[in-house]
Amino acid sequence: MTLLRVENVGQAHNEIEILKGINLSLERGEVFALIGPTGSGKTTLMKLIDLLTKPSLGQIYFDEVDVTDVESDRLAARRRMSLVQQKPIVFSMNVYDNVAIGLKWRGIARDLTKGKVEYVLDLVGMADYAHRDAKTLSGGETQRVALARALVVEPELLLLDEPTANLDPNSVSKIEEVIEHVIKKHKISVFMTTHDMVQGQRLSDTVGVLIAGEMLQMGTPEQIFSAPLNKEVAEFVGIDNILAGMIEKKDGELADVRVASGIISAISHYEVGDDVYALIRPEDITLSLAKDHGSARNLFSGKIFKITMLGSLVHIEVDCGFPLFVVATARSALDMGLVVDTQVFISFKATAIKVIKRWV
Amino acid sequence: METTVPPVFGKEKGYGLHKLALVFYDALFYLSGSDLDRDVLNVKRVICTLGAMILTLCLVLGSIACGKTRVAISTTTSLYDTGLWGVLEPMFEQKYGVDLDILRAGTGIAIEYGKRGDVDAIAVHAKSREQQFVTDGYGIERVPFTYNYYVIVGPVNDPAGIGEMSPEDAFEKLFTDASSRFISRGDDSGTHGKEKTIWAAAGYDYDTQVVGTGAWYVEAGKGMGDTLNMANEIRGYTVSDIGTFLAYQGELDLETVVDEGAILLNVYSVLACNPDNTNSSVNLEMGHNLVIFLTSDEVQKIIGQYGIEEYGRQLFIPCAGNEPTP
Amino acid sequence: MSEIWDGLVKAFQLICTFDTTVMSIAGKSLWISAASCLIATAICVPLGSVIHFNNFKGKRLLISTVQTLWSMPTVAVGLLVFLLVSHSGPLGILELIFKPGAIIFGQVILISPLILGLVISALNGVDKLIPETAVSLGASRLQKAILTIREARYAIVAALIMGFGRAISEVGLSIMVGGNIARYTRTIPTAIALETQRGNIELSIALGIILILIALVINISLHMLQRKRV
Repeated sequence: MTLLRVENVGQAHNEIEILKGINLSLERGEVFALIGPTGSGKTTLMKLIDLLTKPSLGQIYFDEVDVTDVESDRLAARRRMSLVQQKPIVFSMNVYDNVAIGLKWRGIARDLTKGKVEYVLDLVGMADYAHRDAKTLSGGETQRVALARALVVEPELLLLDEPTANLDPNSVSKIEEVIEHVIKKHKISVFMTTHDMVQGQRLSDTVGVLIAGEMLQMGTPEQIFSAPLNKEVAEFVGIDNILAGMIEKKDGELADVRVASGIISAISHYEVGDDVYALIRPEDITLSLAKDHGSARNLFSGKIFKITMLGSLVHIEVDCGFPLFVVATARSALDMGLVVDTQVFISFKATAIKVIKRWV
Repeated sequence: METTVPPVFGKEKGYGLHKLALVFYDALFYLSGSDLDRDVLNVKRVICTLGAMILTLCLVLGSIACGKTRVAISTTTSLYDTGLWGVLEPMFEQKYGVDLDILRAGTGIAIEYGKRGDVDAIAVHAKSREQQFVTDGYGIERVPFTYNYYVIVGPVNDPAGIGEMSPEDAFEKLFTDASSRFISRGDDSGTHGKEKTIWAAAGYDYDTQVVGTGAWYVEAGKGMGDTLNMANEIRGYTVSDIGTFLAYQGELDLETVVDEGAILLNVYSVLACNPDNTNSSVNLEMGHNLVIFLTSDEVQKIIGQYGIEEYGRQLFIPCAGNEPTP
Repeated sequence: MSEIWDGLVKAFQLICTFDTTVMSIAGKSLWISAASCLIATAICVPLGSVIHFNNFKGKRLLISTVQTLWSMPTVAVGLLVFLLVSHSGPLGILELIFKPGAIIFGQVILISPLILGLVISALNGVDKLIPETAVSLGASRLQKAILTIREARYAIVAALIMGFGRAISEVGLSIMVGGNIARYTRTIPTAIALETQRGNIELSIALGIILILIALVINISLHMLQRKRV
């Protein structure tokens, strides 16, 4: 049974369209991650789903009930959801009261409340903090309290709006751990937004990509990350090699894509003459000093023109007639003595390339 | 779902009070307490709760009106400040079983209160305006009950040399003498009215020849006491009722310079307000009682003896309803 | 200057001997102003909450007007209320004139703009995310409002103290509508006005000092009540 359905929803503010034609649905027990760059409208959509604001266009259904307009229906539905905000925010009371307040508002008896609050505090690892003044907590601790506060009311739908956006890296992993634990243990339906794709990929069943107010792609994490439908999604999900080109020759499924001065062999269903993008993940490209085919169909030689250190990895930009980004470990880069102007050989399989339509 | 009421105070005894106390407890600590330790009673909390309950009780009791009828009268400041009402008020209250509210007001507003029906009677000293009050139907009857004399006071040693003159001549001298200064009440009070009468009797048109014609004539716009203080400060002359002057004399370097003259006659009258004209809430019965009270032999005697002990002289001459002749 | 010292001494005397006149005047002042403050609070806190949480045309104009009314001279309000509650005025049948009720009525009118404006200001100072979070947790409109008021409680109590201060120290209104009747509608400020006019400077100063002491005690009590661990 569909828990949440968003139909053709649009949101405009002062004549600026923030969201356009949003359609999505969420089943019970499903975890949906909405990813997109900052400013794409994620929080706006979140507020619409949490029924804090009304959409300019379209309908929202919660548990098959239209909750777009009628205030009493909205309040009833809102009480079956909980939201954790991006900015960690707590009320001026101790941790216990913060968590308990949702239950208080629902008229739950005090002795029942006690048990529930203690349970969720334990769940998020804040059991010893009950008496603490919530305003004295760190960002990560506050967010955990916020999560506990959202969970204690036993929501049918848990909403997480970029829950780790404002936290330090340590707290981020801690919170992700807690969220994962809660999801796995209680099989809650979750709708979350994040600009961290890895987080979205890790925690969710379905991913939606929201760019500039439009839902450009929706599917399983694998679909999104390995088979993005268009350039914007590809860019966002971190495919660094997006090569513009055209199909010159076709042999069954095998296509020859002309990209600048080279030909790339890829698997595609597009036809000769189609304008396309060839997408290649840096991780799928092999870089070596010796000409070595292996089983890869594509082999190019080129010169390194930029090397960037990124933690324990090295980003290498190679000029093969067209630019290619490759990733290697710092260790291997050192061993191979890779520096700018080093002559290298690039190889990658035809199956590693994703070909998508290019609109000209 | 019902919120359980914890057995804070214990058992069945005084259950209603227990619930009330809990209401105060919750109200007080809703904002500053925590659900965690709501059941925790400490001395501070008990005191606060009891304190709040007692305060509320006081507030409520304070607003419950006493059974007694309230009778309001407005009286002129000079009469009020002599303290005569301090003696008469308890007597009247006891005799008639009411609460007497005395409003100390300037003659102008005292009469205005009467016209508006905000008081049941007025006791002032402005004859013509009182007569108009009755003619216009606001008051029943003008009943003089006591009188005394105004005095013209001035700096010790009388620099203008008006002592022993008649009031009219004295005013003429003050007008013509270049160095002398006069302080007027300037507030349309009974005293101010008397002053204007003297100017007229001396042959001067008040509005064109006296008011605002120079630094010599100062309009204080204040009560009698303040006006006397001002006269003291700038060493000028002024007209005062005898009562206030005696009360302030000790702190001033002023003395009575002219205290004889028919024109200085100061008559206090009481007028009961007419409920028909203003509105029916005016207590005509009590207004009438006040008139009878003030003109009764017993009270007239007390009025006549008032001030002798403290100032060595009579402040008021009783006249029991008859218009005194100067 | 010696008058101030004499005043201090007299104040001490009057307090220690529980002088009945002074006690009755002080008690009257306290009771009248407390009642006014409580009534004004009961009106202005909910009203301020409604104004704050709703957007309507003319909201800014309304708030500006409220703030302008902060500078109403007490005699002006006094005159207005007098004309209303006088027996020849529209509210004459309420029989309020020259009774403590008239003063309370007038003081509520006097201090309500102040308390209302400051309450709205206080609620504005609360992070917008707080009421949003409350709503997202399922709070009804009333519950959301109560929570926000709780978050702003320090500023709101400050508003109440200001309102009370203005009420207990005003003269113009009390004299005009109360009549300064001994033992009935005489408050500390009106008594000061009267005694000064009569030349009893020492007594006036003493009363003034007592008024300040009362304000101090109330302030301290409220602060203590607000402290966290009660």
